[in-house]
Amino acid sequence: MGNIFSHDLLTRYEEILFIVAVISYLVCSGIFIWYLISRNEKAAQLGTILLTMGLVAHTVALALRWGTSGHAPMSNTYESLSLFGWGIVLFFLIAQRFYPIRAAGALVVPTAFLITSVAGVFYQGPDIPLAPALQSIWLWIHVTIAMLSYGLFALAFGAGFLYIIQENLLKKNYKGVVTAFTLLFAALGLVLGLWIGSMLAEPVTVQDPITRTVGNDYSFSDYFRIFGGGFIGLVVLLGLGYFAGRGASKRSFSNILPSLDVLDEVSYRGVAFGFPLLTIGIVTGAIWADQAWGRWWGWDPKETWSFITWLFYGGYLHTRLTMGWRGKHSAILAVVGLIVVLITYLGVNFFFSGLHSYATG
Amino acid sequence: MSADKSAEKIETKNTETASAGKASNGNSSSDTLFYLILVVTLLLTDVVLSFYYYRNQSGFDMRWILAALDISTILSVMGLAGKRVGHFLTSMKLAMTMLFVIAILSIIGTWLPQGEAVLESGWVKNPLYDVYRTLGLFNVYQSRWFLAILYLLAFNLSFCIFKRLPTTYRHTLKPRVDVKEKFIVNQPLASVVDGAGEKGMGIARQSLSGMRYRIRPGQTGSVMAEKGRYSGIASIAFHLSFLLIGIGAMLGAVFGFDETVEIREGQTVDVRGTNLKATNYDFQIKYTDVMEEGRSTGSMPTKYSTDLEVFSDGQSLERKVITVNGPLRISTYNPVLTFLASLKVNFHQASYYQSDRGIVSVLQVNQGPGKSLIYLGFFLMMGGICFSLYFPHRRIWLKVSDSDQLLVGGRTNRAKVTFQRDFERLTSELRVKMGQEDKAHG
Repeated sequence: MGNIFSHDLLTRYEEILFIVAVISYLVCSGIFIWYLISRNEKAAQLGTILLTMGLVAHTVALALRWGTSGHAPMSNTYESLSLFGWGIVLFFLIAQRFYPIRAAGALVVPTAFLITSVAGVFYQGPDIPLAPALQSIWLWIHVTIAMLSYGLFALAFGAGFLYIIQENLLKKNYKGVVTAFTLLFAALGLVLGLWIGSMLAEPVTVQDPITRTVGNDYSFSDYFRIFGGGFIGLVVLLGLGYFAGRGASKRSFSNILPSLDVLDEVSYRGVAFGFPLLTIGIVTGAIWADQAWGRWWGWDPKETWSFITWLFYGGYLHTRLTMGWRGKHSAILAVVGLIVVLITYLGVNFFFSGLHSYATG
Repeated sequence: MSADKSAEKIETKNTETASAGKASNGNSSSDTLFYLILVVTLLLTDVVLSFYYYRNQSGFDMRWILAALDISTILSVMGLAGKRVGHFLTSMKLAMTMLFVIAILSIIGTWLPQGEAVLESGWVKNPLYDVYRTLGLFNVYQSRWFLAILYLLAFNLSFCIFKRLPTTYRHTLKPRVDVKEKFIVNQPLASVVDGAGEKGMGIARQSLSGMRYRIRPGQTGSVMAEKGRYSGIASIAFHLSFLLIGIGAMLGAVFGFDETVEIREGQTVDVRGTNLKATNYDFQIKYTDVMEEGRSTGSMPTKYSTDLEVFSDGQSLERKVITVNGPLRISTYNPVLTFLASLKVNFHQASYYQSDRGIVSVLQVNQGPGKSLIYLGFFLMMGGICFSLYFPHRRIWLKVSDSDQLLVGGRTNRAKVTFQRDFERLTSELRVKMGQEDKAHG
């Protein structure tokens, strides 16, 4: 009979609670999609209660992880994705108390489920020590701010995508709805496929003898696996997207969605609030790098991609504020923007390796 | 040393190109002659310097200067061909194109191995290797044309900032308080409340103060209420920060140094590029066990440090145990100059490796003379973008017309729907309160 608060047992509790949270998100995804179709208020109430319980389990799991590892849960893929999913559910539960947006749960909760289950795939025990460069107060500040900006860009994406759907529904252009869904799912499938493919690839690690940065050298068969995975993912989700689009092509669906003006504004505000946070995230990263390595910018893949993301949203703001773009064009940019964010957030860690390769987030 | 002079020369030439470009509308013969002389001078300087640079590969790094010359030459050729350089440089399209091009080039840079890494990759055997290398694709971020594009963006940015200054100055410091009735009615959001009169004006002012608008009564009876007055200035500060960071980076690249220094325990080495010597007294590593499923699967270094002492001309300057996030910073000049130009020499613990004769501590020693400017840029960048986007400029004008109507009109530079909500709240409050007053009278 060991101590019930022993390190190993706490780790075990954390795993169980995390699984409970993921299962509750899965069940709630089903409930909220059912709510969207049936408009049964009881379903929404049940979903909200279950989701709150899942969130409590998730919170305890994260707190246990904090306690057992001794640092904020932001240092590897599992921790950072788990925290991301937690944040999405938390903000959704808060928002639905103040605004009548429970219907959005059909989109938000499955996203949270997807993210937390991907986190589960990358599960790592709490006893992987923190690399020396990460042992800094900046880990906290830098990662939290960057994650908040990603969350806001995700919000801008969601509103932008719904804008495109709503506009097509109002114009009774059902082909457009199906195309939008198909394209979105195809892109998602491509990203997921490339990601899984890159995990199957076995690149040779090469190191720069002078700067000591590490790079990957891919062989032909690696490229075959990566792009093959991408192609398979694309085809599978393309079909899925087509049927989802057919399902959403009903006139009644347009009544559920918010008005075009509101969607446009929400999408813009997501970017307008996310962009300064991304700027602060990049600058704090530069200050931290200056402290740790004595160089504030080194064109490391993660740095470069965050810079590309920043250029992209800078472009979005300019087209909107000085060139007067509105509505559909801005919505398309907000949708594409999330793909860039995903490459920065996840892609870089799997496709390229550099100074950030040990640090996800 | 010759490089310093040529840098100065280029700067003066750039401004000449720019102002002349702005002035030339068609092409008078004197303009053509001016451009012809400019093109020939720039082209000659460019070719001569390039030749000198590529002959002495080990010499002073002049790519920064060459890139500036390249772009100035191209711009003056455009002027010679009768294009309006100033107009081209201030255009939004150019800025957007440059952002796009930089993004694409950066993507190439993350996809292809950069720097020395390429020598160990399979790319060396690729038949196109030489072509790619000549194009600078294996060193994108330091390549001459990438720098040239950054210069073009910097010129573009400076021009855009310059063009915006008068408008921003007027909006911030000389707001239009006294306006005509027509001006109010023609605003993007406008409303007329019949019979509201001066009483309506009072209610509106109260309602606007409630929404934290700043009220400014004018001389001719009109009233202006505004919020987020510094949005425009903040936007300029944000854009200015790129120029500051760019200049800081350039200073660092031209006058700074960044060296990898390897010292075994007990060894003293010279730091290249300075008159400093560094001694490693003691190197410590702390390992922590990596546990999986309750048993140790190996160990990982979680802390390493070097007990370092730095000497100048045989005299000890400072001794410190440096760690990965705890560098040693030494000022070798007088403190004021050091603060202004960030002349500190920094010793960072980078990594270590095991050699035949003991553990070698790898230090990154650098000096960035532009760091003060860069940090000022960082500060302006963060502050500027937050103020600019979180507190948009919102203006509402009010005036009572001769027929006792209350005219309300307003505009904003961002977040139209949110402003609309403010505006609707104001007008509905006006209508409700005026309606109640009417009932009380009746």
